[in-house]
Amino acid sequence: MSSSVIGRDLPRRDAGDKLTGRTRFTIDRQAPGMLHAALRRSDVAAATLLRVDVAPALAMPGVRAVATAADAPGRYGVGVADHPLFAADVIRYHGEPIAAVAADTIEQAEAAAAAIVVETEPLEAHVTMADALAPGARELHPGWERYEELEPGGTRAGNVAWEATVVRGDLDSAMTRDDVVIVEGAYAVGRQNQASLEPRVAIATVEDGRVVVETSTQHPWAVRSGVARLLDISESLVRVVVPAVGGGFGQKFEPSVEPFVALLARKSGSPVKIALSREEEMRTALGRENAEIFIRSAVTSSGEILAREAVVLMDCGAYGGEQTFLTTMTAHTLMGNYRLGAVRLVSRAVYTNTPPTGAFRCCNGVYCTFALERHTDEICAAIDMDRWEFRRRNLIGDGDLGATGQRFEGDVLVPMLDRMVQLRGESPPRPDDGRLYGTSVAVGTWFVFVGPSSATVNLNPDGSATLITAGVELGSGSLVQSLPQIVADQLGLDPADVIVRAADTDAAGFDSGVGGGRTTVSLGAAGTAACAEVRRKLFDAAADLLEAAPHDLELADGMVGVVGTPGRRMPISEVVAHAHGTSGPISGSGAFAAPGAEAMPGCAAGHMLEALDLPVFAVHECDVAVDPATGHVEVLAYRVVQDVGRAINPRAVEGQIQGGVVQGLGYALHEEITIGGDGRIRQAGFETYRLPLAGDVVPVDAELYEGAPSCGPLGAKGAGEVPILAVGAAVACAVADAVKRPVSRLPLTPPHVLALILGRDDEVTHDHIPRSWRANVLSDPDALEAAFASRG
Amino acid sequence: MIEFRLNDRQTHVDAAPMASLASVLREQLALTGTKVACGEGFCGSCTILLDDQPAPACLLPVAHVAGRAVRTVEGLAPNARLSPLQQALADVDAVQCGMCFPGIVMSLTALLERTPRPTRPQVRDALVGNICRCTGYERVVSAVLQLADGGLRETGE
Repeated sequence: MSSSVIGRDLPRRDAGDKLTGRTRFTIDRQAPGMLHAALRRSDVAAATLLRVDVAPALAMPGVRAVATAADAPGRYGVGVADHPLFAADVIRYHGEPIAAVAADTIEQAEAAAAAIVVETEPLEAHVTMADALAPGARELHPGWERYEELEPGGTRAGNVAWEATVVRGDLDSAMTRDDVVIVEGAYAVGRQNQASLEPRVAIATVEDGRVVVETSTQHPWAVRSGVARLLDISESLVRVVVPAVGGGFGQKFEPSVEPFVALLARKSGSPVKIALSREEEMRTALGRENAEIFIRSAVTSSGEILAREAVVLMDCGAYGGEQTFLTTMTAHTLMGNYRLGAVRLVSRAVYTNTPPTGAFRCCNGVYCTFALERHTDEICAAIDMDRWEFRRRNLIGDGDLGATGQRFEGDVLVPMLDRMVQLRGESPPRPDDGRLYGTSVAVGTWFVFVGPSSATVNLNPDGSATLITAGVELGSGSLVQSLPQIVADQLGLDPADVIVRAADTDAAGFDSGVGGGRTTVSLGAAGTAACAEVRRKLFDAAADLLEAAPHDLELADGMVGVVGTPGRRMPISEVVAHAHGTSGPISGSGAFAAPGAEAMPGCAAGHMLEALDLPVFAVHECDVAVDPATGHVEVLAYRVVQDVGRAINPRAVEGQIQGGVVQGLGYALHEEITIGGDGRIRQAGFETYRLPLAGDVVPVDAELYEGAPSCGPLGAKGAGEVPILAVGAAVACAVADAVKRPVSRLPLTPPHVLALILGRDDEVTHDHIPRSWRANVLSDPDALEAAFASRG
Repeated sequence: MIEFRLNDRQTHVDAAPMASLASVLREQLALTGTKVACGEGFCGSCTILLDDQPAPACLLPVAHVAGRAVRTVEGLAPNARLSPLQQALADVDAVQCGMCFPGIVMSLTALLERTPRPTRPQVRDALVGNICRCTGYERVVSAVLQLADGGLRETGE
């Protein structure tokens, strides 16, 4: 195998077209005779839907089809199928679709959607999780017991869409020892909007009785099943194809707009396009959820963490969606990083009358790491221990147990911390300019969402190879850099001779989607397995021609050669031509599945992932200056040491780190979403939702830490998701260090920081969260503890 | 009928006077390199050059460009040759999803035409109207600075 293409900073094959405007994203595409769709959305957060009359819309000029709940009987979701395409009897959030219209022009479609008569009777809206969890609160989903469960094991009731718990060890004895300090913290974060510049957009066409959906998605196979489920048609009647995607960041991991156009195309017989406006994207994005955390730890004076308990409330909005899965990730993040004695954790996805939330790069890992690292610094202050020293003593190493009893492999985090100290160099100067200076260190644990993948590799007559997967290029470079580099390495080709087929569910086998840092790992592993079959067939065909045993052959520079005999080799194309006359064209297929890491029995309940197959770690440091007159935070320097396993294309990974850190700086400092009492998101566009701009950012000093254990191909780990993980934590800890006050909320906007400095910040108390995990679980806490005590 | 110069060619379009230049470019003239990510003039992805000055095409009524010169990203790289700026951005692996880059390229083209050797603050100022959600901007800035220093190839291929 040629290792010359692994670890090389090869360029992107799509850069030229993207720089010259020739790339045609879904938003740039159209089909002949294409109609345009608009949605009629709810303008209240909670109501009974009394009447929907579409007759006025059908009478409007240019209108070709109108669809409502009657046309889409199914429900979809992640843990629970609770989400209909259109509101049927009940409206659960401001902006919920009630009807969809297809017309000749977008203006006609919008006018007709507005003409639909909607009669409602208001219901009391639960806009906050405190409202939704209050005793006797109206249930958002009466009849939730009858929803189909798509994943087993979650506890559900009333406005709790999903609950996951962790029980390990004897909490009460640790908490009541007289030689421990008890440290408590309450933390709150708002939502974050993905703000991909290409909005959610899709075009559906009906061909030979099947629906072909061209869409800007991260997960073609989820769109295929979601469309079929909502329209109540066979999945085999849906084909999903994906051009270049203009950013996703997690939002496009779930089906969203595709079912509307699939339905309208079937009703009208014409191609239909839907493209959400920026206001729709701001007001109905499947954003990172707002969350509330209470955490308490018992720590000895030498810094040993004897016990930790926590309650996490995650606002899933009107429907459970990704949050039903993400309750699983609090155990590995908020309860991650450090060796813990006893553990109690309850994580709840809570229904509210707000737009549903979803997945966003590192998801709840971002705020769980914020809460954990702020809590860790509070512990350091309480026991008077240096922040780096405390972490060095407690970070998980080889053979240590994670929160759910998983045994971790390899010493990774402490060496990463050491690497950070080297990267830091000298402390930056602190001019006497009246500003307050602070530093921080933040550690984070995340994972690669491995999941099943498949790949096919065809060896072409010219000796080039075609890789066929359902992978999608979102911008991270995995489809244009790492995957062709891996296939080229396996087949001894120039990466330019590896063609990567755009995703098409009619061509590629099943895949779990581009997200969770999984593409290079899972599709890379499936591609590697496909290449193994190609190599075997190629060597069998070449053995006769080169008069050598197949196991004595190797691939390099586009040639098949005999190991150790430089002169005896021939171009792959000649071997392929020979095979065409004997065994036939050469191709291989490969598959990958999660290796299946194990937790301790009886520890975790309601978790879709009890243990991490492939953990990924990050250490961040941040230096800030805070202006006490304005509350403005300037980030002076930012450093990252990231566990990458093995970097296939180091420069591409560094590009992900710079971009991910800057997205995190937006989350930490100024991307603020607020929800009014009417349940409507107040920020309708980029005027009020303040994204990072070129003038805000710092160059990130990044070091790629290689060599940690990995089940990924060539030892790789996903590198694109993790850079954002610890940014909120690092900034918050540095600001707390600068202003000498606890930071309990993000984002740290200037008014918020000013209030902190002046001692006027609203304290985060979470009065609705009882101060013991026991009082926060739907399940019987004694039964959960008994399940752990009686573990096999 | 509205007449203007588009990428050095005289162009006539039959469009409502208040239609945005961006919609005319994208829908009537099939020039989809000009992106519209917000439609409110905040993101800069629709940046074009109007008489050599950067302007948001999503807010420009097409009647406003009558008799004037419009340049779009399609006009920068005729015959598929990258401009030195585009080549510099490709060479440092600056591109990710790519939706913002046509607008960024137009803003920076205008900068380099006025100021061939800009300073870092000048580059950052020139980019203040262009939102990029992927890259964190740093490589874009450093590509321009390296180009201005002659540190990269002069022409594309």
